[in-house]
Amino acid sequence: MQFGIAAGLAVAGYALPWLLAWLLGASALVYGTLVAIAIFATMAYGLDIILSDLGEISLAHTAFFAAGAYAAALLSVAGLGAWLTLGGAVAASLVLAGALGLITLRMREFAFSLVTYAAAVVCASVAANWDVLGGSDGVVGIPTLDLSIGPLTLEAGNNRQLWPYTYVLLLATIYFVARFRRSRLGQAALMVHMNPRLAVMSGLNANRIRLLVFLVSAPISAVAGWLYAYQRAYVGPDLFDTYFLVLMLTAVILVGRRLLLAPLLGTALLLVQKSFFSLGAYGDKLVLGAVLVAALCLFPNGLASIRLRRSKMLPQDGTG
Amino acid sequence: MNVAQQLVNGVTIGHAYALVAVGWTLLLGAARLVNFGHGQMYMVGAFVAWWAMQATGLPYVLAIPVAVLVGATLGAAMQRLMLRLTLQQNLVSLMIATLGFGQLLEGAAGFAFGARPQRLVSPLEAMPLRWGQVWFTAQDVLLVVCTIAVFLALRWVLGRTVLGSWVRMVAEDPKLTQLGGVDVAWVYMGIFAFEGAAVAFAATLVAPRTPILTSMGFDQVIITFVVVVLGGIGSVGGSYLAGLGLGLFTAFFGALVSPAYTTAAIFVVLIAVMVLRPGDLASGRGFAR
Repeated sequence: MQFGIAAGLAVAGYALPWLLAWLLGASALVYGTLVAIAIFATMAYGLDIILSDLGEISLAHTAFFAAGAYAAALLSVAGLGAWLTLGGAVAASLVLAGALGLITLRMREFAFSLVTYAAAVVCASVAANWDVLGGSDGVVGIPTLDLSIGPLTLEAGNNRQLWPYTYVLLLATIYFVARFRRSRLGQAALMVHMNPRLAVMSGLNANRIRLLVFLVSAPISAVAGWLYAYQRAYVGPDLFDTYFLVLMLTAVILVGRRLLLAPLLGTALLLVQKSFFSLGAYGDKLVLGAVLVAALCLFPNGLASIRLRRSKMLPQDGTG
Repeated sequence: MNVAQQLVNGVTIGHAYALVAVGWTLLLGAARLVNFGHGQMYMVGAFVAWWAMQATGLPYVLAIPVAVLVGATLGAAMQRLMLRLTLQQNLVSLMIATLGFGQLLEGAAGFAFGARPQRLVSPLEAMPLRWGQVWFTAQDVLLVVCTIAVFLALRWVLGRTVLGSWVRMVAEDPKLTQLGGVDVAWVYMGIFAFEGAAVAFAATLVAPRTPILTSMGFDQVIITFVVVVLGGIGSVGGSYLAGLGLGLFTAFFGALVSPAYTTAAIFVVLIAVMVLRPGDLASGRGFAR
């Protein structure tokens, strides 16, 4: 039953661009927005695992996102195919996450957030100054995405052609996160978050679990960065911009924590505003900040809690 | 390299770091809060002073209190909005909310003050002083004197006054403080107002050194992180020393190695300290000492 609903949603999601094209007229903007939603939602899922399951705020996920993008850019400019750059992106993020995970092993709360932020700052300043990584000019001339296997041609030159790939990536990510939450590691992470003492008594090594979860979450954001590099055909230090960080955090927080589709819905809400109801660069910043503050101060448990709270008030509605 | 000149540069930069960080030191020590909107509050402080001088023709000296007042109001308003989260001690949400405030302020400032770089002109900046081989400006002297004054005043208020004892009580145990008859909400509001006022004051003194941009936000105060952490979370005297030390480090690292990598080097130092001495970050240690 659940599988049926999930499959139905997945097919409906894939057909979304045609529906929107029919409603709004086929435009580059529709495809551009959908591709951006899929990529940034994938990026947000990486953070979601840390924030919702481990209960910490990692501010280093922009660095993982950028690591994936830089790996894709540098390796593809050097002539490697997209599958190899994908491997490179994952490997780069694992190395970074491993190092950072070991450094932050014993840190909690704001110490953890501060050090992850510090790490992102170090990465940003290295990327902006080191010529190997393109320095402040970044890396240009990234070829189009080509995932062809043998006789099967899989190429994507524009957003319209990219949509299937980004969509498949998004679906794979959501499936992966769902599996993670049901896995032994996912359950252990939640226990370490919710009840550290019980976790210790159950024989769980909190530090090891934190490190593993970190290693699971980083490649998700990195793969999003990998695809973003191909989509934009340019990679530069602007990937470390606070905008991406705030977008990620807002997307994760806005709808509600530990809801599987929440980061996707959050990203979609924010990017639809940016694409179709834009108020200019400053206006969008203002909206993003205001939405984040309002969501946290008025609905600390996310927009989904509004519905839940109301349904609790009705006694005859037992299921909620 | 002129060692004496770098020493003076380092002392000036160090006092700038310390003054920018003083508000956050109190915030972190007393309320255990991290304000990721700190940089944008700095930016707003600088732009309010600039605007006051441009629009109303106020002299620099009078623009300072205007900016400080706006900063205090901003801090108090921010705390009023986050009050529920603060009283629940929901630190995760609070941290993210301050990040949102930063974005909000940056967007609003972009609308209000435009995208072009401006200059906050201090008449003292144009008064060079010379002492042997060493050059500095009257603005540098003002900065150093004011920083020392603010730190001494904060130490005195925290250590010797009733107000300070309330802040220390809140830092120890907010619930017990409430039972003791002190309105915790007002104390938190006061702490945030001080944070806003202090960073705006710092901005009016430090910003004349460089052009100001509405997007400068975090870059300008990124060192604040390092100052408060190396100073030993919430320790007033520690922050002053950490700021001074980092200023000297910046001056000499920039002169000897490379100015471009100074920020990265400082953050590497921070990470190293946090890895080697994690015990220093234990909660509640060293506040108001």
